[in-house]
Amino acid sequence: MLTVERLTKRFAGGKGIEDVSFQVEKGEVFGFLGPNGAGKSTTIRHILGFMKPDAGRVTVQGMDSWQHQGQLQRVLGYLPGEIAFPEGMNGKAFLDFMAELQGCGNMARRGELIDRLQFDARTPIRKMSKGMKQKVGIVAAFMHAPPLIILDEPTSGLDPLMQKVFIDLVLEEKARGTTFLMSSHSFAEIERTCDRAAIIKQGRIVAVKDIHELQSMQRKIFEVTFVNEADAHAFAAARGDEAEIRKGHTVRVAVQGDYNAFLASILPYPVRNIDVFAQNLEDIFMNYYDQSEVLA
Amino acid sequence: MSLALYRRMLSLHLKTMMNYAVGSAFYMVLMLGIYPSIASNSQAIDELVAAMPEGIGRAFNLTSGFGTAQSFISGEYYGLILVLILSVFSVLLATQLIAKLVDQGAMAYLLAAPLTRGKVAFTQASVLVTGLALIMGMTTIAGFAGAAIFLEDGALDSGRFLALNGMAFLLFFAVGGIAFLVSAVSNDEKRALGISGAITFGFFTLDLLGRLSGQLDWLRAVSLFALYRPGEIVEGSGPAPLFGAALLTIGAAAFAIGIVRFRRRDLPL
Repeated sequence: MLTVERLTKRFAGGKGIEDVSFQVEKGEVFGFLGPNGAGKSTTIRHILGFMKPDAGRVTVQGMDSWQHQGQLQRVLGYLPGEIAFPEGMNGKAFLDFMAELQGCGNMARRGELIDRLQFDARTPIRKMSKGMKQKVGIVAAFMHAPPLIILDEPTSGLDPLMQKVFIDLVLEEKARGTTFLMSSHSFAEIERTCDRAAIIKQGRIVAVKDIHELQSMQRKIFEVTFVNEADAHAFAAARGDEAEIRKGHTVRVAVQGDYNAFLASILPYPVRNIDVFAQNLEDIFMNYYDQSEVLA
Repeated sequence: MSLALYRRMLSLHLKTMMNYAVGSAFYMVLMLGIYPSIASNSQAIDELVAAMPEGIGRAFNLTSGFGTAQSFISGEYYGLILVLILSVFSVLLATQLIAKLVDQGAMAYLLAAPLTRGKVAFTQASVLVTGLALIMGMTTIAGFAGAAIFLEDGALDSGRFLALNGMAFLLFFAVGGIAFLVSAVSNDEKRALGISGAITFGFFTLDLLGRLSGQLDWLRAVSLFALYRPGEIVEGSGPAPLFGAALLTIGAAAFAIGIVRFRRRDLPL
């Protein structure tokens, strides 16, 4: 469906992307993960044909994105990372305009999307909050039912309830066979929808992994509060380097993947409380990146 | 050319275009309204102009005198005020049609739709030309209407008046073309506005200085505005068709280069 081959673009100042390659299969939801400034949006701009690659190419259903700009857009829906609508319109006028440009006659689908995302399409765009613009952008990306939808940081600005509505929407479309490329810097967002994800850092693809594999790479921090202080010390000693004593009864343990061993190790002690902190994505990248550099 | 985009852009900018067009038409009618009282004293005014330093008369296109309606209008409106109004209009609208959309990011939506960049740029250029045609068209109609109301039959030479309007349109086709080219290659709206504004008013100033002083005459050779000589057109002297063709060529080339450059460049969207 979508193939990015050895895509390279260098900007002045050393930024850019280098040798980026990945493939998104039909019907797949593909995550594109990376910290801010890693090159996610630059890659997406090449897919949309906004930029000419220095080397490599992007093809969508066999069409080169630079050569066939204007044609491959027929099969695309796009939500930009930073949404800017043309001035002087309300949401409805904008969506009418986009529908006309896309040559899409199906207004029923649009009405249904507006109902689900719950916003007043008649609000003038300049009076819209960020979240509301995001909703209008999502409708514009989905309403013409394109076979491939590209979403750049789709849930930024949405409240948790709307994030859930959005995720349901993506999963429904996926069930209908729509292909997605979704960029994000939040692992949680990708985790719930994607089949596979590419991790990009400093303009290079670090890994393309199955989502379950990525989940197992993510370390979780458990903060366990024991009833007895002695137990806390005994537990920390047993866990070794992974554990760290916090004020008396509380121990912090980093766990990656093997939850059974962790559960077994706390079972002997009476426990008052457990808190879980997911390691943030940047830290996962750091880990992964450091490891792969060591291996290389 | 995308009709959907053209309609949308036209409706977005129609109000501004109409403001310029109505303002220009109104000024035209006003000028023709006061012309009969000027005409009865035209000899005195011609003497007054003759008494002024020669450069001043040339600089503000007053040399054709006030003997006929079209020469009065050419001096009083087409020589300075219309030129300034349309310069501002061309530069502002050309900047809004491409550079502003790129700078703000709204261009991403136009290009995420199945429109080629060539189509988008051509459509935006058409909107600019439509605006110029609208303003000049309304001004021309107002001229004929004003003449019918205030002047005696035949007091306005329609052929020369049309030629004057046609030439003014061609001048701004060229000025607009250059402003469009600047807009099409710019990522920054303010910068595009600054550059095309500087080019347009730079040309204007060179032409004005060249006319003010005989010694600076050579300055006109490098100014686009030197191809537009309202005084000569209403007198029927000077190589107007040649100048007109030159303006048309420059304008068409600038638009074409703008479209081509816009197709090939990286967009920061």
